[in-house]
Amino acid sequence: MKKSFIAFLRRNLAFSELAIVANLEYRFNFIIDAFVQPLITVGIEILLWLAIFKISENTMLGGFSKESYLAYGVWAPFLGRIAVSWMYESMMVEEVASGSINVILTRPISFYEYYLSQMMGYKFITTVLSLLAPFAVSLIYDLPVIYSRIPLALSLVFYYLFLIHTLSFVISTFAFFMTRVRALTLVKNLTLWLLAGELVPIDLMPPYLSKILLILPFSSGVYIPVAYLTGRVDAELISQGFLSTSISILIACAIGNWFWKKGLQEYTGTGA
Amino acid sequence: MKYVIETQNLGREYKTYQKKEGVLNSIKGFWNREYTTKAALKNTTLQVESGQIVGLVGANGAGKTTLLKILSGLIYPTTGTVSVLGFEPWKREPEYLRQMSVLLGQKNQLWWDISARDSYALLAKIYDLDLIHAKKRVNDLAEMLNCHHVLDTQLRRLSLGERMKMEVIGSLLHSPKVLFLDEPTIGLDILAQTTIRDFLGRYVKEFKPAIILTSHYMDDIAELADRLLLISKGEMVYDGTVNQFLQTTETSKKLIYRYKNDHIERELVFHSSELSEKLNEVVKSGEVLELKIEEVDFEEVIHSFLAKESRI
Repeated sequence: MKKSFIAFLRRNLAFSELAIVANLEYRFNFIIDAFVQPLITVGIEILLWLAIFKISENTMLGGFSKESYLAYGVWAPFLGRIAVSWMYESMMVEEVASGSINVILTRPISFYEYYLSQMMGYKFITTVLSLLAPFAVSLIYDLPVIYSRIPLALSLVFYYLFLIHTLSFVISTFAFFMTRVRALTLVKNLTLWLLAGELVPIDLMPPYLSKILLILPFSSGVYIPVAYLTGRVDAELISQGFLSTSISILIACAIGNWFWKKGLQEYTGTGA
Repeated sequence: MKYVIETQNLGREYKTYQKKEGVLNSIKGFWNREYTTKAALKNTTLQVESGQIVGLVGANGAGKTTLLKILSGLIYPTTGTVSVLGFEPWKREPEYLRQMSVLLGQKNQLWWDISARDSYALLAKIYDLDLIHAKKRVNDLAEMLNCHHVLDTQLRRLSLGERMKMEVIGSLLHSPKVLFLDEPTIGLDILAQTTIRDFLGRYVKEFKPAIILTSHYMDDIAELADRLLLISKGEMVYDGTVNQFLQTTETSKKLIYRYKNDHIERELVFHSSELSEKLNEVVKSGEVLELKIEEVDFEEVIHSFLAKESRI
């Protein structure tokens, strides 16, 4: 039992390393993905909040200052970038649709763990490198950020990634039946973008909607960790985030597992 | 006798959507789609012993790859039973997957973006192998295939022949007891084909895995397989040795000759027992300037066999 657990760890660490090695092979793409893309999003968010404050001619909005929103605008895109898995989701869907999943199916590994570990490896390296930017911006402009809260906030985002990966797994199993699921992927990701609070902080939404969104697990990806980091909420909401994410992972795993089994019965090994 | 691979009345059907021509039918297909069911494999009963190389031959769409996919656990059979190394492949139990390997000549099994050596290190961890032992095995296999110099090159930058050698090493790294090779030499030049063919021959002699091999190059089958399975329209139409097949088929010799004042080289294909008769015919018909007798290409024999049976 102990030996098989060590083998499991060794194997999954190797998948994480694979993601790091494979992505660092393409330096330009990596830099764009890790730095440029979130920097552009930060620029958009900051311009948006500056414009909103200028038009409103108020120093406070929803009980928070301009600096608080700027801090949100700096951190939300970076954490939001960690809390998505567009790249790995599209790879997973493509594997099923093209038949290249055959390579995984004929080896003693699971599709779920193979991509989970790869995604975690990639997220780890991009997080370490890309978080330097919001960290530096917050220090330079003295934005209201509680730095001691970074570890717990990041823990929630990484835990949330298990849910995101499980949802990607569910979507990829649909490819067994429908082959092309790109439109579904896009709709799902846009919905999560809104529900996570990356576009607009959840506390600015109508109270009844904000209550629902905080109960749902998706706010654990961006809003809760960023709000916690910028002092808008306390640790209680973090605990709630861990709980709702855990429940959702269990539900998504059950659904994914059911579709996976059904999908394999339908699968024709196309492409082999 | 305990068989490594056993199937009983194995069959697989595919359901295919029938798209009729035109935009209107595309719109109609939105809510009403017609499907047809096609049997890709029918009532296949088969036993393979350990250490045996079985050559699986048939035209495109005959059912070869479907059979390999079922045996390797990629797809479920629709009918019948199947057992490989005592496992039902479609259950994909890790213990089974650790003991078998699939090499699909038209698909990459290794990782495209990293070097072969990095891929092997990863495979060693997937199969839970001793890393030192795995490294030694890679070196031994690379020596046999004479490809040490490309082990550290990114896979995508290798030529097709070099890549196939890397794939072969990857498929053998965990010493599988059963190996499914689907077109392992497809697209390769003669030299690369011969190298891989020779390597497989030596490997099987030394390590005795059971192998099912499909190939469009009949030389692969003729030189490697000690048993031939002919498959056509999803059914087994021949099961025996390559030699038996050549003896029992009617076209097994070729007479190539040229008459005096004739620029055309003529060919006559006939059964071995008719040699004297055919020689007489040729000599009586004119003054022969050149004459040679050749074995008919294995490919031609199979093709004419299947054609005669109206199987292709």
